[in-house]
Amino acid sequence: MTVNPEIHLSLAAVLAAAICLAVSFYLAAWLVRRGGGRRRPSGTGEPNWSVPTLDAFADRTSFFHQWDPRHKLVSLFLFCFLVVSLKSLLWSAIAFGLTVVAAFACRIPLHRAGKRLLAMAGFLTMFMVMLPFTSPLRSGEALVYLPGLDGLPFHMAGFHLALTIVVKACAVALMMEPLFATAPLPVTLAALSRLGVPDAVGQMVLLCHRYIFVFLHEMTRMYRGMRVRGFVPGTDIGTMNAMGNFLGMLFVRSFERTQRVYDAMLCRGYDGRFPSFTCFTATGKDWTKAVLWGLIGLMLLVFDRIGGNFF
Amino acid sequence: MHISDGVLPATVTIASYAAALAGAAWSLKQVRNEDLPKIAVVTSSFFVASLIHLPFGPTSVHLILPGIVGALLGPASFISIALGLFLQSILFQFGGLTALGANTLMMGVPALFCGLLFRGIRGTTALRHGIAGAICGGLGTALAAMILAGFLTTAGEDFFGVAKLALAAHVPVFIIEAGVSAFAMLFLFRVKPELLGTGRYGG
Repeated sequence: MTVNPEIHLSLAAVLAAAICLAVSFYLAAWLVRRGGGRRRPSGTGEPNWSVPTLDAFADRTSFFHQWDPRHKLVSLFLFCFLVVSLKSLLWSAIAFGLTVVAAFACRIPLHRAGKRLLAMAGFLTMFMVMLPFTSPLRSGEALVYLPGLDGLPFHMAGFHLALTIVVKACAVALMMEPLFATAPLPVTLAALSRLGVPDAVGQMVLLCHRYIFVFLHEMTRMYRGMRVRGFVPGTDIGTMNAMGNFLGMLFVRSFERTQRVYDAMLCRGYDGRFPSFTCFTATGKDWTKAVLWGLIGLMLLVFDRIGGNFF
Repeated sequence: MHISDGVLPATVTIASYAAALAGAAWSLKQVRNEDLPKIAVVTSSFFVASLIHLPFGPTSVHLILPGIVGALLGPASFISIALGLFLQSILFQFGGLTALGANTLMMGVPALFCGLLFRGIRGTTALRHGIAGAICGGLGTALAAMILAGFLTTAGEDFFGVAKLALAAHVPVFIIEAGVSAFAMLFLFRVKPELLGTGRYGG
């Protein structure tokens, strides 16, 4: 076993790095929030339950918008799988670079992609913090000793692994906007149904997507009512009781409403599927784009397996 | 807690996708047309419940509800959870698209199990419904946390620490979820018991 190089950091260096990280994170969060253009009034104590509309920018024109949804779904889905099977940091970073280009090319405001990245921040931070300290010792890897943590070295190999995971997760997250936001949801679902997904699944996704916004509205209204009546959430049985009843009430009201809507749909001749007038015509261009993305993904994987060990 | 993209090894990702698809196909077969509104309600509620954050000491936890989904939908809960997670993934990036299979198994299997268990122990009185709700709510979350930890350990020895942390982080969720589920079941038993009635296993 080779000797592990040991690096001892001073307290000042660690503090400076921590401050830099915190500042850049808050700056990024602030930029995303400012880009969102929506500022909820502060001090109302009402939680932010807003859900982004998935296909708000589906009517633009771009490389991804003008791509047959069937080809787009298959090739980008495959691309995502190829990206997550990468193993080296170098090629994951190159894949990330490609997806950044895609995120720009799909002409959808970047704060939406930024929000996606922020949503993963908690889970990924856990990896960034835990992996370097808990990964097993590998021969030849550098160990960094932080001040005050002499028994707990920071493994560079673990850090490397965590960074690779974060880069891959961000890469796939950035592909979500080109994949799902560049066509209206019904068109995406119609394309999925042509690809062999059962009709019932598409129907349920469509219904649920509709109901999410209805229920959120209902939930916000009920919660506002609770706050007006003096409800303050805490860690006690009373809060559990209130939230249990709140959920139960949400179920009951939503169920009755959905039942009425469903009955009305049946009266109007609903037989398990909405009539769809979407027709897909694939041209050579669609095939070319599909082959192009597939090849890019495959090349990433091949280079990763052959040349990934340099880095 | 949802697994995001890029964490699990490729083989586990693909295998869990295949298992989740098989489970969803089985679950879809159990769905009758008239159950559609109920599935839509429970799926959307499963989705919005993840937005509710309850304070737990200095931090806050959000509800997951695999237990309640299982108790309400029985065998259809698996497809409901798969759809809810799909929507969460494409709208919010809660859990990645490629980890959808693993996430579905993580929440869907506890939901199926809790559905069976709830049917077995609910009895006929309000009190027993409350107790059954608490057990299913707590157990559903605990099972989900254990499956999450199991998935993380398949990624290698490096992930043992993270898996332990994830398990520990679920303890408060486990407690809150048990309490909220108990009261939700009590409420539904008093107000609309027919919601708890349908959904058959097999057949």
